[in-house]
Amino acid sequence: MKGKTQVVDIDRSRYDFRYEEDESEYLESGIAPEIIKAISDEKNDPDWMREFRLKSLEIYDRTPMVDWGPDISGLNVDSIVAYIRQKNRMKTDWEDVPEDIKETFEKLGIPQAERESLAGVGAQYDSELVYHNVRQEVAQSGVVYTDLESAMHDPKYAEIIKSHFMKLVPPTDHKFAALHGAVWSGGSFVYVPKNVHLDIPLQSYFRLNAKGAGQFEHTLIILEENSYLHFIEGCSAPKYYEASLHAGCVELYVGKGAKLRYSTIENWSKNMYNLNTKRALVEENGTIEWVSGSFGSHVSYLYPMSILNGRGASAEFTGITFAGEGQNLDTGAKMVHNAPETSSYMNTKSISKSGGVSTFRSAVVVKENAKGSKSSVNCESLMLDSISRSDTVPVMDIRTKQCDIGHEAKIGRISDETVFYLMSRGLSEEQARAMIVRGFADNVSKELPLEYAVEMNNLIGLEMQGGIG
Amino acid sequence: MNNMSETKINILPVPTFRWLGVNDYKHDIKEFKTDSSEISVSENESKSEVVYIDREGSSDIHISAENGSKVKLVQVFDVKGQAKSKVTAELGENATLELVELFLGGEVVSEIVTDLKGRKASFEADIGFKLDDGDKLDINLLADHHGRKTVSRINASGVLGGDAEKTFKGTIDFKNGSDGAKGAEKEEVLLMSDTAVNKTVPLILCAEENVEGSHGASVGRIDEKQFFYMQSRGIDEEKIYDLAAQAKLAKVISRIDDKETLARIYARLGRGDESE
Amino acid sequence: MSELLRIEDLSAAAEDKELLHGVSLEVSEGETHVVMGHNGAGKSTLGSVIMGSPEYKVTGGKLIFDGEDITALGADKRARLGIFLSFQNPIEIPGITLSDFLRNALEQVTGKHLKLWDFKKKLAAAMELLDMDSSYADRDLNVGFSGGEKKKAEILQLLILEPKLAILDETDSGLDVDAVKTVSKGIEEYKKRTNGALIVITHNTKILEALTVDKTHILSAGSIVSEGGAELVDEVIENGFEQFAGRE
Repeated sequence: MKGKTQVVDIDRSRYDFRYEEDESEYLESGIAPEIIKAISDEKNDPDWMREFRLKSLEIYDRTPMVDWGPDISGLNVDSIVAYIRQKNRMKTDWEDVPEDIKETFEKLGIPQAERESLAGVGAQYDSELVYHNVRQEVAQSGVVYTDLESAMHDPKYAEIIKSHFMKLVPPTDHKFAALHGAVWSGGSFVYVPKNVHLDIPLQSYFRLNAKGAGQFEHTLIILEENSYLHFIEGCSAPKYYEASLHAGCVELYVGKGAKLRYSTIENWSKNMYNLNTKRALVEENGTIEWVSGSFGSHVSYLYPMSILNGRGASAEFTGITFAGEGQNLDTGAKMVHNAPETSSYMNTKSISKSGGVSTFRSAVVVKENAKGSKSSVNCESLMLDSISRSDTVPVMDIRTKQCDIGHEAKIGRISDETVFYLMSRGLSEEQARAMIVRGFADNVSKELPLEYAVEMNNLIGLEMQGGIG
Repeated sequence: MNNMSETKINILPVPTFRWLGVNDYKHDIKEFKTDSSEISVSENESKSEVVYIDREGSSDIHISAENGSKVKLVQVFDVKGQAKSKVTAELGENATLELVELFLGGEVVSEIVTDLKGRKASFEADIGFKLDDGDKLDINLLADHHGRKTVSRINASGVLGGDAEKTFKGTIDFKNGSDGAKGAEKEEVLLMSDTAVNKTVPLILCAEENVEGSHGASVGRIDEKQFFYMQSRGIDEEKIYDLAAQAKLAKVISRIDDKETLARIYARLGRGDESE
Repeated sequence: MSELLRIEDLSAAAEDKELLHGVSLEVSEGETHVVMGHNGAGKSTLGSVIMGSPEYKVTGGKLIFDGEDITALGADKRARLGIFLSFQNPIEIPGITLSDFLRNALEQVTGKHLKLWDFKKKLAAAMELLDMDSSYADRDLNVGFSGGEKKKAEILQLLILEPKLAILDETDSGLDVDAVKTVSKGIEEYKKRTNGALIVITHNTKILEALTVDKTHILSAGSIVSEGGAELVDEVIENGFEQFAGRE
């Protein structure tokens, strides 16, 4: 059994088309007060937001670069275009969306998905939302799903936005959170009233088309008591040689007894620096469930944090990371137990091949007041060759005796015994290896909605090619 | 004696989130004069050493184990004040290092760096701790697998009471070329108080395909089923914790065979009758 | 004979699912009771609830032992009053030797300090009776013991602790013929020495051969559906449980 199985890279051709963008729509590259002010003007920001942006810029200027994780010296923030103006304002009718943008999303299958299985869709193209729509019955139940800018100007939501915006992820959190605070644009605002259960998901799709640009969308979701929402986020971009930057921010407020499932399939192109920050605050008996597939990007820093803030709150994180050639993906999760009887579960898989680097990084913090809490972490890594790399960097910080904290991690390869076992039942070696890799990813794909699981399988595009002898 | 050291110590090989405070040792340690020594073992020989550290100070032991040799080093730390210890080891082909470190008190910073250089070199580490009010412990253990088919096994287990603070950083590093290597790490911590702080940081770094690495950790209270079983035999909660604490150290202590050292440990643990 | 255990209309639940519905049962000193029933009928639940397992919540009724209401007592207090449960799946306790564990338990149950030498003698004698190799005394409790050895270790604890009431939960299951004999010998010895009462949870008659059964209770879906004397055991063996189902 000398032959090494080749796992072919993810087939990205489906995402790798692009449209020429009109250069005149670019704001100047770099991050300076004038640019920030121009963004504020463009968006007609309320005063507090103007100040917030400038304050964030100050914080950005004095905050040192992140000192953990993959090298990001290839990223020159000063050459990134922070904001790209759209010629047309956001539409709620698909037919009104400009032709080239419409075609982009149609190629990605977005309108079709909306017709078939979604309660609402938002689509962001570069810096601005180009399309936003919710089904009528959903809107009637009091659910709000719109872009953040509109909500900020709507007297009904202005206060809520002001009191929640970047309160979970303050600009002081790290350098890119500060950058986000200064230049954020686009993203979604979702509000689910008390006792409302949305049985079909809402989805936002982010597409960065312009080269050398940054996308800084902000997602703010508020779930009131005993409500339920499944939110899906998809990201992609065509490949350019210039570095692109994605520094989005997701803030999720899960009320008492509410449950939020937040699924992400990230497939940015391999020139992307994905420095995203996601955080959820969960109140009494509330639940946050993260499902996360990381396939794209050149470099990724992504560790959704769940703050379990009320008695009985719980969090679950299921993730898969696939690092191929030229990728350095640093992913994981953080769980903070800040109330009694809280529980957290983490289940992650990572695959490294063709020189790809994947790092699982996690933190489980159990505070003094989190009596009776439970946490369990399980992470597995698969190495497909010896030019790749896979690191596991977990930290547990436990400060109460009344808790049960478990952690398990494993790293290894496709075992010869398993291949042999499957072959003894009539499978070829290639089939056996393909089956094992698919099985390895299975517990994540089964957490995704069906059409996304199919998408993920396409994405993995695990074509196995035998080489026996 | 009171010059605080400025260089960082016990540095985590791969830094992580700063706010967790585990990237290096964050308290100050006095600038001690370091007491350096060397344990060299020639081919196919074996050597065993036991050190009982009960005074403040800093020690640096370098172990070089040639092909086929066996080394066993036992260090027991029971200090009032601060102690700093560093053990570095280089293991040749088929060489084995058995390291036992037991921490019974004080503020101790211990670094262990083992280079598994030769083919089939093997490293076993058993770390035990029973810490209470005022005690601090920071361990930074690295098993660097360079050679083919090298093996490491790391076991840490112990009990934290009072406001004790403990950080155990254990890293299994499969370097390029460590084809066929295996590494396993386990930590079990029993917390006896709500003011103690336990940090567990088990890293696996891997640059080689054909390796097997695992780590497991369990932190917190006694397993519910075990607790009920013991209780059903008439043992009350206090005694159950007592027994469980003993159990956490038993495995590490069983690795120590020096009678005199054992007697000292048992005396310190208030279990005089066991050395009979 | 005076009453030892009285179970009054006992209901119990695990994770919000009620598993016992109003079970009543009385055991007098020295009596041997047999509890039979299908898997999942609630037999083991009953044994665990009498011992005070935190896995189950008593949702109604009470338990009176030796005239004292023990419904709210912890397992250790119950053990000190003289209740013993031989676990169906004895728990492994790494790091604590069988000998150490049992000595601690005995001291706590009797409230007396015991000389190491005297304890060791007592333990060795009991182990010999149960055909247990003396090396087991210094092994970690139940760790790496085979199924049979674990059950023997339970009976060993029974012999050392000498409770007033012993609940044997499937002590004979999974044992070969010789092991059942040895375990039975241990139980007989316990009866002989202490005249303790027994609640035997089983679906096997082998372990009952050496015992005089006073009462038999058939449990089905969490309720006692039939009661009788020793003859009921034979009836069950011959005709199965079906006939009792729904015969409340």
